[in-house]
Amino acid sequence: MSKQINVALIGNPNTGKTSVFNALTGLNQKVGNYPGITVEKKEGICKLPRGVKAHIIDLPGTYSLNASSLDENVVIELLLNKNDKDYPDLAVVVSDVENLKRNLLLFTQIKDLKIPTILVINMSDRMAYKGISLDIDYLEQELKTKIALISTRKNKGINELKELITHYKELSTEPCLDASSIDESYFENLRKAFPNQLLYKLWLVITQDVNFGKTDRKTYDAVEDFKTKSKTDLKRLQQKETIKRYQFINETLKKGQTIDLNSAKDLRIKLDRILTHKVWGYLIFGAILLTIFQAIYDWSSIPMDFIDSSFASLSEWTKNTLPEGAFTNLLAEGIISGLGGIVIFIPQIAFLFLFISILEESGYMSRVVFLMDRIMRRFGLSGKSVVPLISGTACAIPAIMATRNIESWKERLITILVTPFTTCSARLPVYLIIIALVIPEGRILGLSYQALTLMLLYLIGFGAAVGSAWILNKILKIKSKSFFVVEMPNYKLPLFKNVALTVLEKTKAFVFGAGKIILAISIVLWFLASYGPGDNFNNADTIVTEQYASENLTEDELHQKIESHKLEHSFIGIAGHAIEPAIRPLGYDWKIGIAIVSSFAAREVFVGTLATIYSVGSDEEETIKNRMAGEVNPILGGPLFNFASGISLLLFYAFAMQCMSTLAVVKKETNSWKWPMYQLVIMSGFAYIVALVAYQVLK
Amino acid sequence: MNTIIQNILVFSALGLALLFLVRKYIWSPKKKSTKACGGDDGCGCH
Ligand SMILES: Nc1nc2c(ncn2[C@@H]2O[C@H](COP(=O)(O)OP(=O)(O)OP(=O)(O)O)[C@@H](O)[C@H]2O)c(=O)[nH]1
Ligand SMILES: [Mg+2]
Repeated sequence: MSKQINVALIGNPNTGKTSVFNALTGLNQKVGNYPGITVEKKEGICKLPRGVKAHIIDLPGTYSLNASSLDENVVIELLLNKNDKDYPDLAVVVSDVENLKRNLLLFTQIKDLKIPTILVINMSDRMAYKGISLDIDYLEQELKTKIALISTRKNKGINELKELITHYKELSTEPCLDASSIDESYFENLRKAFPNQLLYKLWLVITQDVNFGKTDRKTYDAVEDFKTKSKTDLKRLQQKETIKRYQFINETLKKGQTIDLNSAKDLRIKLDRILTHKVWGYLIFGAILLTIFQAIYDWSSIPMDFIDSSFASLSEWTKNTLPEGAFTNLLAEGIISGLGGIVIFIPQIAFLFLFISILEESGYMSRVVFLMDRIMRRFGLSGKSVVPLISGTACAIPAIMATRNIESWKERLITILVTPFTTCSARLPVYLIIIALVIPEGRILGLSYQALTLMLLYLIGFGAAVGSAWILNKILKIKSKSFFVVEMPNYKLPLFKNVALTVLEKTKAFVFGAGKIILAISIVLWFLASYGPGDNFNNADTIVTEQYASENLTEDELHQKIESHKLEHSFIGIAGHAIEPAIRPLGYDWKIGIAIVSSFAAREVFVGTLATIYSVGSDEEETIKNRMAGEVNPILGGPLFNFASGISLLLFYAFAMQCMSTLAVVKKETNSWKWPMYQLVIMSGFAYIVALVAYQVLK
Repeated sequence: MNTIIQNILVFSALGLALLFLVRKYIWSPKKKSTKACGGDDGCGCH
C-alpha cells in the first residue's frame, strides 16, 4: 500500500469546507449556513484514482493566519508544526466564488509557507446568478497554483479536484509575496540568524500570541529574541503585510475576475433591508417563532397521541402475554413505560430540529444573529455570543464548545456560563407535557394558548441568559477586548439532503442518548419502587386488608389500596418522602420529587420517570398523559398537576441546571470545577426560589 | 422455576443498568477519547 496523502481543508468560515469534506470522504459532518460551524478538527479518508488514498482533515474556518481565537489556533498550530502527524502534504484552500478577494488573503499566506496548495473555488453554481466570470488559466498562472472550480451543491468538479489532489507533487511551491518586502532590514537580520528556516514561518511565529505548546519548542524559543520590535511595531508590520497582500490580490483579480453587475439579480440586499430592519426585523422574527411553536403543537399532537396509546397497549399486551413474574413486570411497568416517556416526544423534537436546520441552512439564522447582536451589545455581549445561545436551543453542549471562536476570555466565560439557560431540546418534553396538562386549549387570533406559553418559556430562557450575562459582565473583573463583525452569508434554498440529515442525526442522537439513560434509570427506579424494606412493605396485604376490613371495598379497590400502600413504603417511596418537605412548598408530591432528582442525569428523563413510578402495580391500560392528569394531590385533593404547580414546575425546569453532561463540558472548557459548581448551585437555587414564589402566589 | 429465572433476569438487568449509570456519571475506567465531538461520539450530548 502506498503512503497516504495528508490533505488539510483550510479556508474562511462558511466557504463550504465541510461540504467539500463530505463530498470527498462520503461522511456527513454538520454543515450550516453561518460561520463557525466547525470548531474542531475532523478527519476522514478519500479514495483517489489509481488506489491512492488521502487522509482529509476538515478545519475550523479562519480569516487569516493572524489568529485571534482558539479555533483559529487549531489551524496555525497544525501548519507551523512539521512534526504533527497531521501536518499536511497538501493544503486545499476552499474559497467561495462570491468572496474571492477576502478568501485569497488566507490563500496567499498559506502558499507562502511553501506547502503545496490547491485553490478550490466553491459555489460555482452562484456565478451566473451573480454575474461573475473567471479566467481560470490566468488566475492559475498568477497565483502559481492549480484551481478547482467546483460546486458541492451541484456535485460539480469533485472528480477534477480528486485528480488534482492525486498529482499534488507537481504543484509549485513558489510564494506569492516575498516576505522580506515587508521590512527589508528586519528580515535580513532574521535570515542571518536562521539561515535554514523559512522567513515567513518565522515571521508568523514571532507575531502570534499563540500558545505553541505542541510545536517543537527548540527552534521557536530562539525566535523570542527577535521580538525586538515593540508590540505596536509588530502590529504595524502585520498591517503592512495585509496591505501588500491585498495589492497583489487586487492586481490579480482585476484581470482574472469580471463581475457584471447588470446581470446580478440582487435580491439579497432587498431582503436584508427588511429582515434586519430595526422594527420589521424583530416583528418578522417574532412571527416566525410563533409559527414554529404553533406548528410544533399542531403537527405533532396526532403522532404523539398515537405513540402514547401504542406504548400503553404494548405494556398491557406484555403483561398479559408473558408468564407472570418479576421480570415481566419490569418489562411492562419499568422499561416500556419509561421508554414510552421518551419516544412520544420524537415528533416534536424532529419538528424542532427541522425548523432550526431550515433557518440555519437558508441563511436566516445569521440575520437573527445580527438582530440579537443589537440587543446583546447593551448587555455587554457581542454577536459572537449569540451563535452559541441560538445553537443552545438544540443542546447546550455543542453550544458551549462553539464558544471557542470568541476571542475575549471574559466574554467567552460569560457565554459559557449563561448558555444553559437557553431552552434546549431536553426541556421540550417536560414543557410539552405539562403545558398540555395545565394550560387550557383555547385560541386567540389563531394561536393556541399552549403554543404561546411554549414561546414564552423560550423567551424566558433567553431573557435569563441575557440578564445574567449583564450581571456577570458587571461582576467579573477580567480585562479583555472584543470586537465583532457580523458576516452575512447569502440566502440559500435549504438543501433537502442537508436538512433531512441534520434532522435525522439530531433526532437519533436525542432518542438514543436519552434512551440509554432512561432505560437504565427506569430499571433502577422500577426496582426501587417494587421492593421495600420491613413489615410495612412485605405485609402490605394484611395491613391494608385489616385497615379496610370494615369498609366494603370491591376486590379491585382493595388491590389498588394495597399497591399504593406498597409504593409508599417501597425504597423509592421512603426516599421520596424524605425529600418531600423540601419540595412540598413548590406544590409537588414525592413522585415529582423523584422525577426532578433523576432529571439531574438528563432533563428528558422526567416524563419517563413519572411514567414508571405511576405504572408500578397498576393494571389498567393507560397513557402517560392520562395517568398524570389522574394524579391527585395527596394533601389538598384535586389534580396534582394544576395551574399553580404546573407553572411552578415549568419555571423550575426553565432555570435549574439539571444536566450533568453540560457540567462536565463546562469543566472541560473552563479547566476548573469552580464554574460548573457555581452554575449548578446558583441556577438551581434561583430555579427553586422562582418556582416557590410562583406556586405560593398562584395557588 | 419460573420465578427463579425471572428474578435472575431482574437482577442482571438491574446490575447492567447500575453499571451503565456508574460508568456514565461517576467513574469510567478509560479516559474519553479526545476525538472530535458531533453525532454520537460519547461527548455526552443527548
Ligand atoms: N450554493 C452553494 N452553497 C453551498 C455550496 N457548498 C456549500 N454550500 C453552503 O454553504 C454553507 C456553508 O457550508 P459549510 O460546509 O458548513 O462551510 P464551512 O466552511 O465548513 O463553514 P465553517 O465550518 O462554519 O467554517 C452551507 O449552507 C452549505 O449548504 C455550493 O457549492 N453552492
Ligand atoms: Mg465546517
